[in-house]
Amino acid sequence: MPLAEPAVAVRGVFRRFGYRWVLRDITMDVAPGEAVLLVGGNGAGKTTLLRVVSGLLRPSKGAVALGGTVGMVAHHTMMYDALTAHENLTFFARLHGLKIRTRIGELLERMGLAHVADERIGTFSRGMLQRLAIARALMPEPRVLLLDEPLTGLDDAASRTVIDVLGALEEQGVAMMIATHQLVELVGTAARVGYLVNGRLAALEQCGGDAGQVVGRYRELVAGE
Amino acid sequence: MSSAATLQAIIAIAGKDLLVERRTKTAFLSSIVFAILVLTILYFARDKTAVGDLDLAPGALWVTFTFAGMLGLNRAFVLERENRAMDGVRLTPATPTAIFLGKVVGNLVFVGTVELVSLPVFILFYDVPIWRELPLLMLVIALATAGFVSVGTLFAAMVVRTRFSEVMLPVLMLPFLFPPVVAAVQLTRGILALRPLSEYSGWLSLLAGFVIIFFTFSLFLFEAILEE
Repeated sequence: MPLAEPAVAVRGVFRRFGYRWVLRDITMDVAPGEAVLLVGGNGAGKTTLLRVVSGLLRPSKGAVALGGTVGMVAHHTMMYDALTAHENLTFFARLHGLKIRTRIGELLERMGLAHVADERIGTFSRGMLQRLAIARALMPEPRVLLLDEPLTGLDDAASRTVIDVLGALEEQGVAMMIATHQLVELVGTAARVGYLVNGRLAALEQCGGDAGQVVGRYRELVAGE
Repeated sequence: MSSAATLQAIIAIAGKDLLVERRTKTAFLSSIVFAILVLTILYFARDKTAVGDLDLAPGALWVTFTFAGMLGLNRAFVLERENRAMDGVRLTPATPTAIFLGKVVGNLVFVGTVELVSLPVFILFYDVPIWRELPLLMLVIALATAGFVSVGTLFAAMVVRTRFSEVMLPVLMLPFLFPPVVAAVQLTRGILALRPLSEYSGWLSLLAGFVIIFFTFSLFLFEAILEE
């Protein structure tokens, strides 16, 4: 049986800022419905890799191919503080050419933000902003979802909501790349783990679901560099 | 992206910019206060027996419009810098052309409103026959504003990531604005002096030429500027 076309195909990607190479020869695939955790220290290239895959940054060398619409959640909300949650989502829905207003209501409900839909997001807590950013990323029903530290600033209940949403998306066939330091919470969602060390993909392996094992393996790879 | 989707994106971006400005009012109020201050200072600073209204009015009008407008242009991309909102926009199917045109439309409405509010103050201070050739004067204002806003939008996008964007914008923009502003001043002088159009039609062609060049140049360069 032929393997499904990858939802994300990264081929020999290099990226540099000035004279510093931040990504070196990254090659990897992510299948539809698969979640890949990206693990690495600060400056290992996780965020840059996600930005290159999203198309926000051009690779210096190499190529990225995506099997559908991409959604992204990053360190910043990518939204406007002076607008309400509903206005922000309406704006992005319009840019996506979507006319379905009901989807905005559904997303706000799903992320537990329906009760603050008409409040300016400048007044939101970090956790509320993060959940709204996920709602924005899900707006176009993406086939590829890129998440950079998706649980930052979330309390246990909000983290649980996000993890449940990610699980549901996986079942719907959405491919995910998740850069995180919060292994304990997210290791259960991932099929594979990509270990980034100094801009190289040192290993891309099956995930056993044990955060301690992932940390141990990462230390091994760093020591071997 | 279809032309209907492009139009929808342009309207969404311009509408969002104006909604944010309506909520915060920071750039609008500072531009209006600045415009009124400049017109007032220039009026009281002159010796009325040595400098007539017709000599001062065209320059006063364009100095006011240019610098008051510049205060607003910077705001257009500063709000995109907060929370890296422009990344969110770039992740949508909206093309760089749609983003640029949306920003230009939003800025045109903003600068146009500042000009409309400043114009009565100008009329109050300067005894010039503005009503006689009003349509022609409005055409000159519209043309010069379009050129000014096109190039201003491009430069605002360029400098927004620099540390002193408020200072950098006028420094970079003013040399490019010199030809259209000089043309606009000459045209305004001719219009207010009730001179026949044939006397200054060359300036009108020059202004129109600059607007077309600036607009085209800005439209094509914007995509490169959006990328980091």
